[in-house]
Amino acid sequence: MKDMHNTHIYFSDIAIRFGHQQVLTDTELEIVSGRCALLCGKNGSGKTTLLRIIAGLEVPYSGFVNTGIGKYHWNQYRQQLRQTTVYLHQQPYMFDGDVVSNLNFSLSNKLTRKKRIDRINSAIEWAGLESIAKNPAKTLSGGERQRVAIARAWLRNPSILLLDEPITNMDHDSRSRTIQLLTNLKQQGVALVVSSHDPVHFGALTDTLLQLSEGRVHRFITSDNVTPIHYRKHLNTNAKQT
Amino acid sequence: MDESTSITLDAIYLLFSGDAELWTIIAVSFQVSSTAILISIPPALAIAFILANADFPGRRLIISVFNTLLAVPAVVIGLTFYLLLSRQGPMGDWKLLFTQSAMVMGQTALCFPILVAMGHAAFQAVDKRAWETARTLGASPTLAFYTVMKEARFGLLAALFAAYGRIIAEVGASMMLGGNILHYTRNIPTAIALETSKGEFSQGIALGIVLIILAFALNTSLQYFQGKGHLRN
Repeated sequence: MKDMHNTHIYFSDIAIRFGHQQVLTDTELEIVSGRCALLCGKNGSGKTTLLRIIAGLEVPYSGFVNTGIGKYHWNQYRQQLRQTTVYLHQQPYMFDGDVVSNLNFSLSNKLTRKKRIDRINSAIEWAGLESIAKNPAKTLSGGERQRVAIARAWLRNPSILLLDEPITNMDHDSRSRTIQLLTNLKQQGVALVVSSHDPVHFGALTDTLLQLSEGRVHRFITSDNVTPIHYRKHLNTNAKQT
Repeated sequence: MDESTSITLDAIYLLFSGDAELWTIIAVSFQVSSTAILISIPPALAIAFILANADFPGRRLIISVFNTLLAVPAVVIGLTFYLLLSRQGPMGDWKLLFTQSAMVMGQTALCFPILVAMGHAAFQAVDKRAWETARTLGASPTLAFYTVMKEARFGLLAALFAAYGRIIAEVGASMMLGGNILHYTRNIPTAIALETSKGEFSQGIALGIVLIILAFALNTSLQYFQGKGHLRN
């Protein structure tokens, strides 16, 4: 899939509360084609909520989207977000049926049967799913599910891909394969936003390292190649300051 | 041959000899109950889905109301619609009392709460990620709803069969609203009640056999479909 994207979106003033708990306050986030933002933070810091807001699945009481062409209220831009963004749950949901039927879900009904089969085959090849293509999707392991979910998202050709803890509880091999797929997507121009407890594994993939705490995003490193050393250095510096 | 064996054999003969009166009764039953269930399914499933997925004031009260309606006897539903449809009632001008339409109304009121209550339970059992995944993969709300229905299909089928089983076998509403008119509103349960009161057990047993075969077919179908499902994670 060669489609190149040209996304540069700036989210600002995002705020949401659940009951009396203020989860996000005036949060800002920049999303750029072909770049990966890694979102770190403690449990309950609001990482998942922020991703869900960007995906249009959660409704903030405040939030603006600046596309470079205009600045919109989040509500005005929600439909556009839904069309251009794919969100992957921490444990991706698999529909009843085999892997092929799950991949088929992403394709438009307007496509001919032959085109569908071609697209599905290319997704299977792209994500290395040949050996599990006919397996019932609900019986797959965590790593296999994640790869199927990424392939399903790839078929949608999204501008923005949001991943919530995509490599949690994976072995080394599954983790490498998942990160390789994400690297491919990034090279194709997809903007990635990844939340993770364990940012060290995303070193080579990450362009911007963000930390979410007290309901706000703190951008502390932007470079073309953030390495785990950068992250560790930052944590050490923070620890010394406090 | 004792009397009960003789009656049962008569009943089987009636059933398989193509007795016109008997098969008209069976046809009325299926026609009325199938119409009632088809009318009920779309709104009942929509309500069940909304109750399972949306959060709004009064939601719990609505769920309680539908659960309570499950326990309302058919004869009370029959009485209510009888009062509404009788000449002095608010819907008396429609002249529907003692028609198949009146029976459909009564049976719709009977199966609606079953479809909502059991449909709500079926939709609640589906992981919320199913809806979100469908939507994030570009599905319209209608397609996402259809997708969630597919995920909940075993529970929804159980709801459908339970609802159909209830209305095809109920006497109270059909008797009061249909009037048990031969070739028009006489269905299986009202015919069984009438024939039994006359001491004509053969036709009653023949019709009873039809109901038992139907119940068996519905349950076997449900088992078949459920057996094809994979374990959920």
